[in-house]
Amino acid sequence: MPNGLITRRAALAGTAAASVALATRRGWAAAPATVNIGFFTETKPTMIAKGEGWFEAGAGGKLNWTEMGSGADINTAITAGSCDIGLATGSAATAAGIAQGLPFKLIGMVDNIGPAEEMTVRTAANIKTPADFRGKKVATPFGSTSHFRLLGFLKTNGLTQRDVTVLDMKAAAIVAAWSRGEIDAAYVWAPAKSKILADGGAVFPTYEALDKAGYVIADLVVVRDGFAKQYPEAVTGFLKAYGRALTMYQQKPDDSAVLVAKQAGVTPAVALADMKEYDFVSLKDQASDAWLGGTAANPGKLAHVLKGTADFLVEQKSIKSAPAVDAFQKAIDTGYLTKALA
Amino acid sequence: MSTTVAILPPARLGQRMRLSTLPRQLLGAAAVAAMVAGWWVIAATGMVRADLLPSPLDVWDALVEVTRDGYRGTTLWGNALSTLERLLSGFGLATLVGVPLGLWMGSNRVTHAAVDWIIQFMRPLPPLSYMILLILWLGTGDLSKSALLFLTAFPIIVASAAAGVRGVKQQRIQVALALGASRAQVFRHVIMPSAAPMVFTGLQIALAAAFSTVVSAELLAATDGLGWMVISASTFLRNDIIILCILILGALGFILASLLRATDRRLIHWRGRDS
Amino acid sequence: MRTLPSWVITLLSMAVVLAIWIGITSGGLVRDLFLPGPLDLWDGFMELVQDGYKGRPLLEHVGMSLFRVIAGFLTGAAAGTLLGLGMGYSPRINALAAPFIEFLRPLPQLAYLVLLIIWLGIGETSKVTMLFLAALPVSAIAARDGVANVPPERVSVALALGASRWQVFRYVIIPSALPEILVGARLAAGIVYGTLIAAEIIAGSNGIGWMILDAGRFLRSDYVFAGIGMIGITGILIDRLLLLIERRVVHWAGR
Repeated sequence: MPNGLITRRAALAGTAAASVALATRRGWAAAPATVNIGFFTETKPTMIAKGEGWFEAGAGGKLNWTEMGSGADINTAITAGSCDIGLATGSAATAAGIAQGLPFKLIGMVDNIGPAEEMTVRTAANIKTPADFRGKKVATPFGSTSHFRLLGFLKTNGLTQRDVTVLDMKAAAIVAAWSRGEIDAAYVWAPAKSKILADGGAVFPTYEALDKAGYVIADLVVVRDGFAKQYPEAVTGFLKAYGRALTMYQQKPDDSAVLVAKQAGVTPAVALADMKEYDFVSLKDQASDAWLGGTAANPGKLAHVLKGTADFLVEQKSIKSAPAVDAFQKAIDTGYLTKALA
Repeated sequence: MSTTVAILPPARLGQRMRLSTLPRQLLGAAAVAAMVAGWWVIAATGMVRADLLPSPLDVWDALVEVTRDGYRGTTLWGNALSTLERLLSGFGLATLVGVPLGLWMGSNRVTHAAVDWIIQFMRPLPPLSYMILLILWLGTGDLSKSALLFLTAFPIIVASAAAGVRGVKQQRIQVALALGASRAQVFRHVIMPSAAPMVFTGLQIALAAAFSTVVSAELLAATDGLGWMVISASTFLRNDIIILCILILGALGFILASLLRATDRRLIHWRGRDS
Repeated sequence: MRTLPSWVITLLSMAVVLAIWIGITSGGLVRDLFLPGPLDLWDGFMELVQDGYKGRPLLEHVGMSLFRVIAGFLTGAAAGTLLGLGMGYSPRINALAAPFIEFLRPLPQLAYLVLLIIWLGIGETSKVTMLFLAALPVSAIAARDGVANVPPERVSVALALGASRWQVFRYVIIPSALPEILVGARLAAGIVYGTLIAAEIIAGSNGIGWMILDAGRFLRSDYVFAGIGMIGITGILIDRLLLLIERRVVHWAGR
């Protein structure tokens, strides 16, 4: 009997030790010490989750926020291993990254850009039809979703970069050059877009036609492979936090605008106006075939969009080659969205 | 004090305008004041639109605002400190490695032949051209930023130290050798003193070059620093903050350059008495 | 080693670097994204030569960059040298100009990029001006120090022999300061080159600097390296040219 007791005790102790070890390992896996986030300061509900600490609580570790210059920078930082989650990176950069086999997965989206990025023309330049763009100077930040749309606009209207001078400029430079009257049009986002609109600019609508032609652009959430494997729960928690911010924005847009404005350093009115231009897709819709959902055999919409974007970038000689559409679906992982919705 | 005067030949000539340092500083101050006044007039008369060129008062307000509330969650002081840390680690390491290498290259033909082409190749490269590679190799942290500043300063320091040694007058070396000095003694007592002014000139140029690269270092991925601040202000079109940053960066660069120059004067008191 | 001619040693050293490069890249130790192999680089370069980059022939990119560099360098070095000579000669000019020169010298060009666009636009003027501003302080300080380092004895002797101030300036100070002025010119050329990309950020779609930046966005390391190679090599050529001039003109230097 005593033997049995000892054995039982030993077994108990062993089990306890093992479960503690397991729990510790699991606990460690669920909560990374620090998470490196690559982001842009912008007027979006992401800023609520950032400012209110929801992202931090969701990921379960200290967040190290690094401001990036562009989605391409997020690709570079992820490849270098110094960015774990890329927040609101543009679909053009993501398509390029997947085509190049960079070590990340696409796990969610922040928004469908829609008309938030749009062509603005100088009223005085008298541009009424696409043909009027001949001989004009149009500026856009190269490599961006806006650039992709602009080139799509030229292509679908039978214009080449010989007909139209396309200039690579950062958003701030666009505003400065616009004020001097040196460019006739620009494809860009807020706050630069609102500034030039207020300074003798008018919207030249391109979005609906381009959207139908497949030139869809979106801001996405990507996660570094190594990080996702190690801390899947942190990734889920992060997405959940964004879901919470989305809900708040849908229910209380005015209160949300105040919080966003504080983070972005603009007035609440500006923040609200900016946000109204974007289509912030709910997590549930994101997971459906209309966006991220789909299988390698039957890829969803976003996979096709990314494939189209990558092909276009190959045509532009920005990247060497693009794989077939199933490779894009394989780079999308809706598992975190599903768990965040559960 | 005497070295300060000796820097300027006309004063050394002993004829007229033996201006004391005070009026000369006043002259400099007057020039700066005239500049600020001109800026004010341009801004006040609306020759340039206010949102494109803020007035000196706006910039002052920006300074007050940033020192009181910080800038987007960072403090001015903290940003300046981060930038300085990156600069000094990159520049410091470049000095520690570059000066000995340059002196060696200057006095050893084989080393010169083996290394000089690399230095010459690196020298004209714009730091921004390899920033993306540094991020790929070293990540987005401080390491890649310091490395960028190191690589900016390094070839300049090496090239000028080597040139300093190679520019030593051959007859001096010959004389010293003829007088029975050993190679080590020649290096220590003839080559080093003659090359030192060039080495320091190189350090000053390298410091300025590294300093002018701090914004590039913080362009692509940064969380703080004066460069980050000015770029972030550019994105948000806060021209008052941009100008504030320019003024702070210029002043900081000026102070660092002056410190280095003061060291130069103290260490190399024989500068200008060469012949 | 000691008996080999210098150029053989240089070639040997190049061969060693090339061997290490091939060793690292061919063994699959690093992805070509991080460091392309010499062959990838060559292929990328040939592609650029044949097809150009983003709708423009490679020569156009190189030509535009060289034009900007040379225009910025020549104007900046000339203005800087004149200013520096004045500063070295007259304490008043020095007092007036020094604060601005010392302020400008370390100032990061990227910091005032937006302001240059506001004031000068997005054309060649703003790009060349940025390079001009990069060259100016370096040349000015080199010329000033060159004048300052003129041995006072030489000046006193010339004055004692009855030379006028202008004659002293022309026949004593300028020749004595020339070596430093020319060293300054070479430095300025290096700095102008180093500023090229910042200038081509202003508004692009041409120039080698812009090409490197644009290719870097999509991690086209082969193009990035090809661009770096072209900048490095043209930079060396310009430096050699200046060195040649320096040796011709300053034949008394170092003797």
